[in-house]
Amino acid sequence: MSRRETPLLPETDAREAALFFVIGALCFLAALAALTTRGTYKAAEAWGAQIEGDITVVMRDTDRRTADQVADRVSALANVFEARVLSRDEVEILLEPSLGPGGMPEGLPIPMLMVVQADTAVGDPTDQIETILSDLSVDGDVAGNAGYAENVRGALSVLRLVALAIVALLSATAIAVIAFATHAALLARRDIVDVLHLSGAEDRYIAGLFERRFWILALQAGLGGAIAALMITALIVFTGSGSQGVEAQLLPRLSLDFWDIVILLMAPLIAGIAARMAARITVLNSLKGTL
Amino acid sequence: MARFRPDLSDEPAVRLDGVSLTYDRTGEVLSEVDLVLRQGSFTFLTGPSGAGKSSLLKLMYLAHAPTRGAIRLFGRQTYELKRKQLAALRRRIGVVFQEFRLLDHLTAFENVALPLRVAGQKPDAYQNEVIDLLRWVGLGERVDAPIPSLSGGEQQRVAIARALINKPDLLIADEPTGNVDPDMGRKILRLFAELNKRVGTTILIATHDLELIREFDVPVLRLSNGMLVRDAEYGGVA
Repeated sequence: MSRRETPLLPETDAREAALFFVIGALCFLAALAALTTRGTYKAAEAWGAQIEGDITVVMRDTDRRTADQVADRVSALANVFEARVLSRDEVEILLEPSLGPGGMPEGLPIPMLMVVQADTAVGDPTDQIETILSDLSVDGDVAGNAGYAENVRGALSVLRLVALAIVALLSATAIAVIAFATHAALLARRDIVDVLHLSGAEDRYIAGLFERRFWILALQAGLGGAIAALMITALIVFTGSGSQGVEAQLLPRLSLDFWDIVILLMAPLIAGIAARMAARITVLNSLKGTL
Repeated sequence: MARFRPDLSDEPAVRLDGVSLTYDRTGEVLSEVDLVLRQGSFTFLTGPSGAGKSSLLKLMYLAHAPTRGAIRLFGRQTYELKRKQLAALRRRIGVVFQEFRLLDHLTAFENVALPLRVAGQKPDAYQNEVIDLLRWVGLGERVDAPIPSLSGGEQQRVAIARALINKPDLLIADEPTGNVDPDMGRKILRLFAELNKRVGTTILIATHDLELIREFDVPVLRLSNGMLVRDAEYGGVA
């Protein structure tokens, strides 16, 4: 009967438990950072689009019926999602920071305000709205957010870059720590390298043993970290991520779509490659010192 | 046990020409060593602790390159060889280390089979051979024993079996009796003598056990302060 071959490297080693934890924790952090960065990108994109699409129309000396007519015609434009005339209560809320909580005095002439949510991807409707105002003989102004949006776009670009830099830094740190920890774990196995070397094993054979070992270890640990990140993300996504107000629009939008899963799978893969490369380089370097 | 494969070119098994070895921390440990070990010879290497015996053996079993000088093994200049060729040459050398250097997580069988396994052979091909060799060194009943369960003498014999499994042309042993009692030491050296006589393996044994050496009528080389001395008396030195 044929004998089973025991692996040349011991199957269990307490020293590798620490390496397993380090890789798992770093993959968890890196995956979570990558998902958050992607969420930040999505939030910035949505926020920028919303700001760019917000148009306010001020209609002076106009009654509610005429204002509604304007709103109906603006709503019918192809590049407009919604156009709506604000009620007096809504205007009071808008003016509250300036006039205080007491409300506006009765009889104070206030203009009709219409908010328009435009689809800027299709085209800017400012000129068309001005034409409608002119057609209906309404004295009004169209105030877009183009200038403000430009500033916001600049700020969002910085935000994106910062998020990307954080994830790049964390990933690079994770790779460096994994490589260093693998190197340290491997040096503790120097005795096995020597015995195999002096038994006539070729460098590639010895390096291959350690490469496979640390590749599998890092994949398993990285997968553990990625699953932990997945669970945290799922928890945030499925519990509704808290508030729904304006502040919610500023927060990263975590999701779990195809690309998020790809990001999660990349974490253990990169960890595995880093550990494998570190194992190869360490073994070959240590053998370089021998004949 | 297969027959010894003589090198028809009449090259010595080992030839050292002006070999020196310097370590960064301890300085020069071997100085201008010239040495020839003829094929099929049996030689002792002796000298006080720190004389450089282990360092000399390390050069011969290709663990280190010399700082100066040249080493020829079986007619081949080692510094001219590529790493792959060095690995192949290493498989022609059996080494018994002073501290055994067995892999504790493997059994006696697996430790002995290691040189064959790293050469790509499958267990089916070497199973009987390994068991026969373990029987020959008196461990027929401990084939599947884990290394930590073996006594010092038994571990030493596993290390010897591992050194012999490749049917080496050169067997190098560093203090092979250092960790066993005198009786076991005697048995081990007789085993080597038998191997040299029956198979023709070139054998070099480093030991400081002069009493044991006297029981064997073979050349003795002595290292002192990194230099080979008393060479003419034994005729084994170039």
